[in-house]
Amino acid sequence: MSAPPVAGSALRSATSSGFSGRHVAALGGALAAWVAAYLALEPATRWLTARALGLDPGTHLGSAVAFFTLEAPKVLLLLTAVVFLVGIVRSFFTPDRTRRILAGTRESVGNVLAALLGVVTPFCSCSAVPLFIGFVTTGVPLGVTFSFLVSAPMVNEVALVLLFSLFGWKVAAAYMVTGLAIAIASGWAIGRLRMEPHVEPWVYDVKAGTAAANANPTDWPGRVRYGLDAVRDIVGKVWPYVLGGIAVGAAIHGWVPTNFMASFMGKGAWWGVPLAVAIGIPMYSNAAGIIPIVEALLGKGAALGTALAFMMAVIGLSLPETVILRKVLRPPLIATFIGVVGAGILVVGFLFNALF
Amino acid sequence: MDAVIRKIEVLGPGCSRCQETYRVVRHTVESAGLSCEVTKVESYQRIAELGVMATPAIAIDGGVVLAGRVPKTDEVRSLLGVA
Repeated sequence: MSAPPVAGSALRSATSSGFSGRHVAALGGALAAWVAAYLALEPATRWLTARALGLDPGTHLGSAVAFFTLEAPKVLLLLTAVVFLVGIVRSFFTPDRTRRILAGTRESVGNVLAALLGVVTPFCSCSAVPLFIGFVTTGVPLGVTFSFLVSAPMVNEVALVLLFSLFGWKVAAAYMVTGLAIAIASGWAIGRLRMEPHVEPWVYDVKAGTAAANANPTDWPGRVRYGLDAVRDIVGKVWPYVLGGIAVGAAIHGWVPTNFMASFMGKGAWWGVPLAVAIGIPMYSNAAGIIPIVEALLGKGAALGTALAFMMAVIGLSLPETVILRKVLRPPLIATFIGVVGAGILVVGFLFNALF
Repeated sequence: MDAVIRKIEVLGPGCSRCQETYRVVRHTVESAGLSCEVTKVESYQRIAELGVMATPAIAIDGGVVLAGRVPKTDEVRSLLGVA
């Protein structure tokens, strides 16, 4: 059960020294290997499916295998790179710093800032409650706090990477912009509705301390290590979902008939968006598992807006999160939160169906 | 200087990262032969009182020394002053 001594001493020497030539060489080597792997991916998978396995891409099995062998490594490569870079960006932001920025802003400006900071501040859904208490007891308005709590889980790097690699940059950008808009608008609405009495009263009675330790590194080797930790943490956790999601997506690609989804997730069905949101809210899956499936469904005739709405409802509103938030919020506020965010997702769904 | 640590609190509502942190701290304390009390705190009141907004976190004798990530054994050793 003891830590390997070799790794331990390597860690210590990396901590004490600055950015040495060895570090730069290691980072440069990693970057070169990454680029080479990414460029080689498409020819390699084409060779693998067509030549090595002898599969015709026109067959069920061939198209499923081709999809999986191209998308799975591509998504994992992109995910590793982006999570590392986002990890470095996040090492500049702590919840404490975000709170200090937000405590001094007016409400509307605060909503916008909170939604943006929700993207870059390190956040894990199990610290939603401590973060909520820390914000509202030190002068961050309730609506501004909600803008943060909506944007932090919904607009995340894993979702954006998957959207980018499976749908392209336009859809990824549209998701990011509309996700931020929902966070800003719903936080603003909750602020206007004066929901403060529906926060559990003990929250305001807590003598919240502010002397949180500065947990983030302040030097570059530390930031790189923080980024690598993020990769191990996040990629280490989501890769089974990515592979599982892409495998299901590959099966849909290969076997589900084209236009199969058109009848109930297509543009023609006006009730498609509300139904997708209603199914999505109680569901809980991380972005990694749901997006490849959504992509495959789109290929079978589902409408983009309906699929996006489903995804946002699954990622942005989840049953476990509302159960956690119930500790600090009374039912009327929880209902308002789900209602307002759900309405925002509906608007986005209809908008995308109308535009694309 | 009374450098004897009496109480270590591992703060977190019970997610896997918090349990992992608790395990690392317990293990470090035991293997170093320290006789301090290690508790896992799940009360949101206590977490808020200590000013913690990102879990898992570690407080030593009421002072937060780490927040928002799972520490490595080495790090806990240096936080506890174990050579």
